[in-house]
Amino acid sequence: MNETNSKGIRLDPRTELLLLIIANVVAFTYSAQWIEFAVIGILALLLICCGCIKSALKWIVFFICLVGIQYYVIPILPKILVIMFSVLTVYIRKLFPCLMIGALILKTTPVRFLIISLRKWHIPQKMIIPLSITLRYFPAIKEEQRHIRDAMKLRKIRGFSRKLECMVVPMLMSATGTADELSAAAITRGIENPIEKTCIVDLRFHIQDYICLIVGCIFIIAANITY
Amino acid sequence: MITYLDSLFKGGNFLINIEQVNFSYQGEETHGSLNQINIHIKNGECILLCGKSGCGKTTITKLINGLIPHFNQGQLTGKTVVDGMIVADTPMYQLSEKVGSVFQNPKSQFFNIDSDSELAFGLENNGIAPDIIRQQVNKTVHDLHIENLLHRDIFTMSGGEKQTLAFASVYAMNPEIYVLDEPSANLDRASTLTLGKQLKHIKSQGKSIIVAEHRLYYLTDIIDRAIFIVDGKIIKEYSREEFLKLTDEERHQMGLRTIYQKNPPYTIKSDIDGELQVKNLSVKDKQHIIFDNVNFSVSSGEILGILGSNGTGKTTLMRCLAGLLKEHSGEVLHHGKKLSLKERNAICYMIMQDVNHQLFGESVWSECELSRDEKITDTEIENSLTFFDLLDFKDKHPMALSGGQKQRLAIVTGIVAGKKILIFDEPTSGLDYDHMCIVSQTLKDLAKQGHIILVVTHDMEFLEMTCNQVVQIGGNYF
Repeated sequence: MNETNSKGIRLDPRTELLLLIIANVVAFTYSAQWIEFAVIGILALLLICCGCIKSALKWIVFFICLVGIQYYVIPILPKILVIMFSVLTVYIRKLFPCLMIGALILKTTPVRFLIISLRKWHIPQKMIIPLSITLRYFPAIKEEQRHIRDAMKLRKIRGFSRKLECMVVPMLMSATGTADELSAAAITRGIENPIEKTCIVDLRFHIQDYICLIVGCIFIIAANITY
Repeated sequence: MITYLDSLFKGGNFLINIEQVNFSYQGEETHGSLNQINIHIKNGECILLCGKSGCGKTTITKLINGLIPHFNQGQLTGKTVVDGMIVADTPMYQLSEKVGSVFQNPKSQFFNIDSDSELAFGLENNGIAPDIIRQQVNKTVHDLHIENLLHRDIFTMSGGEKQTLAFASVYAMNPEIYVLDEPSANLDRASTLTLGKQLKHIKSQGKSIIVAEHRLYYLTDIIDRAIFIVDGKIIKEYSREEFLKLTDEERHQMGLRTIYQKNPPYTIKSDIDGELQVKNLSVKDKQHIIFDNVNFSVSSGEILGILGSNGTGKTTLMRCLAGLLKEHSGEVLHHGKKLSLKERNAICYMIMQDVNHQLFGESVWSECELSRDEKITDTEIENSLTFFDLLDFKDKHPMALSGGQKQRLAIVTGIVAGKKILIFDEPTSGLDYDHMCIVSQTLKDLAKQGHIILVVTHDMEFLEMTCNQVVQIGGNYF
């Protein structure tokens, strides 16, 4: 479980969500090349600090490949391919900062912490409860799909549309049942209690959170004043 | 004086009073309805609700935990009082502080993805201070010896572990009353016995327990009284002694399961010249061996039981036999000829524990059409449907059938696909005595028709009644 992951520093989920927004702003405002390189470099550093060394290396290698394509491959390509490839290299690179932070969130933050941070931001319960149930449901769907896929293989069901139909019907049927049972279990455990909910996880901003956010802000400013 | 008034208010020393209750579910005339129910339960008592499926025992548990009338709609008259609270007039969250509920399906009663959150969930909902929650959670872990369940992804847990976690997260809320609805339905023998120990533990703390259950053997030294229900009426109340004195015959008449912890018939056959032979079969995943060196053989007309605790790879073994998963080493032979993955897939069929996963058709008939072998004629399908009492329902949607009918339909789809080997995964989980007998008979009939039957099961009573021989996966089961 991620909670016991002691390698590297830990960020507050709220910091990560804010960084995601900052990365978006930076990605769509900068024009100077060095800012892009700096953003990618610093995010890779952040990933490494948070213990995701492998993932950081993958992103850097991928990034260098794209830059390499732009500078060394595209000049020698025929014109039609140039348009295609430059769209690919430039725009995918624009997404890189967001993807990297996304990877960081997925790897280091349990769903529950995200929910708690949303609660701390006073997002209404009415939005949080459906969201948490949805997130709770994804792994359940995966589990069920495995069974259904097995069943289809045993019965030689072929063809994409046929398979899709066979996948959806049992899943919907079981979803209604599961939803009912899940709600019953939740209300017998007091989910409707109007009292303010408490939480045993103590989420707090630490020094690393402030540093990350300050660096983020510097990049926003830099992206807007450089050409 | 105050205690006297208090007790008067609580209905004369009873913790739970169910008085003259009638109930029927919306849109359901008979199934699970209640008729003139009166039950009085003292503090610290353990009550067993027993009877056939659909007799209304689950409905009674819902009267106590408040799901009726707060969650399930229906016609309700009469009054239920729990610890001085009139259930119908008390909000669910208030009841939930006094009454803890454990349900049948381990999959659908956890709300978080990790086990630590789940243990704290109920307390967090009720706004308990974090320090106290931590204390409670630690106490729970210590009392129930569930250190191995901490910091876990719930989706990687076995059914037994999930159910233990469900029980633990209710225990953490420290309710006065525990209501359990068929808590052992999906558990193997070891987990069932663990549950029995946990119930004994809470009883020794003076908590009251109401348990609706088919499986009785793990409850025999916990219950104080047993209430026998037929068609929503209380037919008889037994003291523990009276209940344990019932003969097998009387119990079968009542549709109840055994009260003895049965050992399986120990006839592990060592000959290896059967029609289907499995030799030194091993399956590995990326990191480790799931099972190793499985050997057995079985012929047409025989029913082989496959035993093994949760997590020993029974499901993996079935998937491997059915050609859904590649073996690491070893072989599967049919009539002496080695079967490839594809060939296994062609002759094996699996009837899953949750048959809802394998019914796709719009009607019973189209379900059969969907999987029929080219050689099978319409008459043959009709014959199969008639044999399994399904012909009358041939235009019905499979999902509109009862659980037993769905299971039989799944069997028919295997038969009309021309499958020789039928593999059953826990075909009797949550079934009462009568339904178990029906499943047992069905398997025997299929064997008689020349099928090879493999059954993975935890149900010793069923095993004893049904299987000719037994193999064990992954060490001793006993």
